[in-house]
Amino acid sequence: MNHDLTLLLIAPALAAIVCLLSRSRRAMELANVLAFALTVGLGLELLRQVLLHRVVSECGDFLRADALSAWMVLLVSVVSLGSSLYAVRYFRRDLASGAVTPGRIKEFYVLNPLFGGAMFLVVLANNLGVMWFALEATALSSVLLVALYNRKTSLEAAWKYIILGSLGLALALFGTVFTYAAAIRHSATLPNFNWSHLMSMASQLDPRMIRLAFIFVLVGYGAKAGLAPMHTWLPDAHSEAPSPTSAMLSGVSLKVALYALLRFHILTTACLGSSFSRNLLLVFGLGSMCLAAPFILVQTNLKRLLAYSSLEHIGLICAGIGLNSPLTIFGALLHMGYHALIKPVLFFSAGNIHQSRHTLQMRLIGPGLIRVLPLTVLSMGLAGAAVMGLPPFGLFFSEITVLTGGFATGQTLVSALLLAAILASFCGILCQLTRVLLGTPRVEHVSEPKMRGEFIRPVPPHSRGKNSSSEQAQVRQGKTTEYTEYTEESLGEGIESPGGRVHASGAHLADPFRVLRVFRGFPLPFSRISRISWSLTRFRSLRFLGFGFVSNFPFRVSDLVKRWWSRRHAPVLDGLPATGLMLAIFLVFSVWLPAPLLELMRQAAGIIGGGLR
Amino acid sequence: MNSSPSDFPSQLITLLAAGMLVIQLLMAVQRMLLTSIRLFALQSLLFAAIATVIAYCHNAPEVYWVVGLTLAGKVCFLPWLLNRQVRRIGIVQEIAPLLNPSASMLLCGAFTVVGYLVARPFTSLERLGNNTLAVAIALLLTGFFLMLNRRKAISQVLALLTVENGAMLAAVALTTYGMPLVVEVSMFFDILVAVMVLGILVYRIRESFASMDLSELKLLKG
Repeated sequence: MNHDLTLLLIAPALAAIVCLLSRSRRAMELANVLAFALTVGLGLELLRQVLLHRVVSECGDFLRADALSAWMVLLVSVVSLGSSLYAVRYFRRDLASGAVTPGRIKEFYVLNPLFGGAMFLVVLANNLGVMWFALEATALSSVLLVALYNRKTSLEAAWKYIILGSLGLALALFGTVFTYAAAIRHSATLPNFNWSHLMSMASQLDPRMIRLAFIFVLVGYGAKAGLAPMHTWLPDAHSEAPSPTSAMLSGVSLKVALYALLRFHILTTACLGSSFSRNLLLVFGLGSMCLAAPFILVQTNLKRLLAYSSLEHIGLICAGIGLNSPLTIFGALLHMGYHALIKPVLFFSAGNIHQSRHTLQMRLIGPGLIRVLPLTVLSMGLAGAAVMGLPPFGLFFSEITVLTGGFATGQTLVSALLLAAILASFCGILCQLTRVLLGTPRVEHVSEPKMRGEFIRPVPPHSRGKNSSSEQAQVRQGKTTEYTEYTEESLGEGIESPGGRVHASGAHLADPFRVLRVFRGFPLPFSRISRISWSLTRFRSLRFLGFGFVSNFPFRVSDLVKRWWSRRHAPVLDGLPATGLMLAIFLVFSVWLPAPLLELMRQAAGIIGGGLR
Repeated sequence: MNSSPSDFPSQLITLLAAGMLVIQLLMAVQRMLLTSIRLFALQSLLFAAIATVIAYCHNAPEVYWVVGLTLAGKVCFLPWLLNRQVRRIGIVQEIAPLLNPSASMLLCGAFTVVGYLVARPFTSLERLGNNTLAVAIALLLTGFFLMLNRRKAISQVLALLTVENGAMLAAVALTTYGMPLVVEVSMFFDILVAVMVLGILVYRIRESFASMDLSELKLLKG
């Protein structure tokens, strides 16, 4: 007898218990990573078994895995492994800079496996009531993770998240109850509430009740999945959570909620035999996509931008399933996978940026971040290009699959709308990310000393008076007043980050090389070379043609070499193993999808689309 | 097994469900936080009474579990927890709703009508009394309204709890037996944990904002 499914739930739970009991941080890190590494292995084993038997069930049908569940298990386990790997370095750096206390880190390591384990329970539970319970458990275990930093903003985000999530789940509970009621119309005894059982008696369910139930479930689980009108918690929670949690929330938690919705969608379609539920999914998916695009364009915070991009992608997945041709459903599942792999890369890179720049406001981070954090920017740029849907990457293929399927089945208007929304958010992300990552730092007058103090960089109010003469301070205050209201939030962040010294005075940032010398012990010859290359970039035409990158080159290589030797002072390489791992998996799967995975997705698409065919 | 609406148990159930609705309306106009908590406890007690009637008349011993859990959790433990929190934080008792009592009473009346409209096609499905499903949906809608109308954190938690009460009522109204036992138990567990987590958050919000007024939570936009 096999105990795959049970082990999938036990491993994270054990890790949580170990973390609760242990005092050493190293043990907690190890427990997290090992538990999720084990679940990846179990997920692969489950993949093999599902391909062999189609359905695996355990504990008297309490746990049940078909192709769709196995696919979700794989995604959840890989993303959880990636984020627990990333969390190790991330929290060590946070601890070193004093942003979190050891107690909070312990809280993270206890709650993180619980969060992952609850997601496994969602996708493995056969009983719809237990599935509801598990989704509520994901919300409850992640809400304290969102509030981990205990900033005012993160508390606000957590409150919004838990209240909207609980309301949504209360609605979903009503929907679940109605589904149960629809099942017991004829039977006088207590029926079995398993999904597989309900599917086998789908034609006997009461259609009116099922219809009502689906509306409740759509709004309820849709709120948890971040679909459009109920999405307001999503950007807040994603931007305020620590980066490993943001990756989990965006990479898999949204999709797990969508999975729960899909189970009801399959049941509803099997019962009604009409396009009722798929039309609703299509409307909500399209709505999310159309709403996300303008919000992407106006974001000022990097992680909020990424959160809105998640909204767009979850909308696309939903719409792909709503289009309901075999090709679009397949494309949507593929998209689910690629998005789950690439979003963590983006959030990890954003985490690196946050820790080194102490802000997420894009106008304070960039432009020209590529000079400061070349490797992070490289991973972020690649992942950004992928998330926009550029050709060599997987998300392009999945988007094309969905669109082709849509046009091929004659749903031209909807597919054209999808295409328009994809293009709009493509432009939005492209515009925003290039502005932050590429280009040259916004200092045009390095050589003119009188301009030095005037480089405007918001100065935290408490540090204004103390670090320079009062005259200078006055000048700076005069210069910054017009910007202060604009950057209220960023000021808040600047004050809290104890390592905010980099931004303490605007004068340092007037001259990027001086910053480098002061804070990284940059040797002079390197900076001479880079000064030459810097002057090359001032030819605007060169920069325009993309030669800014080339002319920056010697500077950045020297930077890399330098950092390679003194990793302690430059946290750039930290967090890159996990980021690189996720990026590598994504790139490999972009060019080569193994046959078992394709077969699994084909089966899962059959399960979703099976009600109609 | 199927009881006609006119016999005594189903009349009793209808009466008790109506009592739950009346308490919900009282909560909508109540300004004192501690009184609201007591009203919630009373509402849960009425729900426990409904479950007892069902368990007794329909000879369904599993439902006694629901009764026990409700009495222990929602009638005793949660009100005690919330009470303690209110006293420990020492907040001002005034809830400060956005709408005045008469307007909110009118709105809640409208929500009740909506509840009856939604539930009307399903009255033939109800096994107990005619009104329980309608009351459950009305509890859901007024619970949402309560949540919007109140800006204090604990009163939002209370509103959430009344919505859960509505869901439980719908479960027993539509199915006679309530949900399967494993689902019932996990629901209670969830509610308990949710209230504790919310309590932690309320405490932290109180610490960093120096108030429990959620209208101050407006830093995140866009």
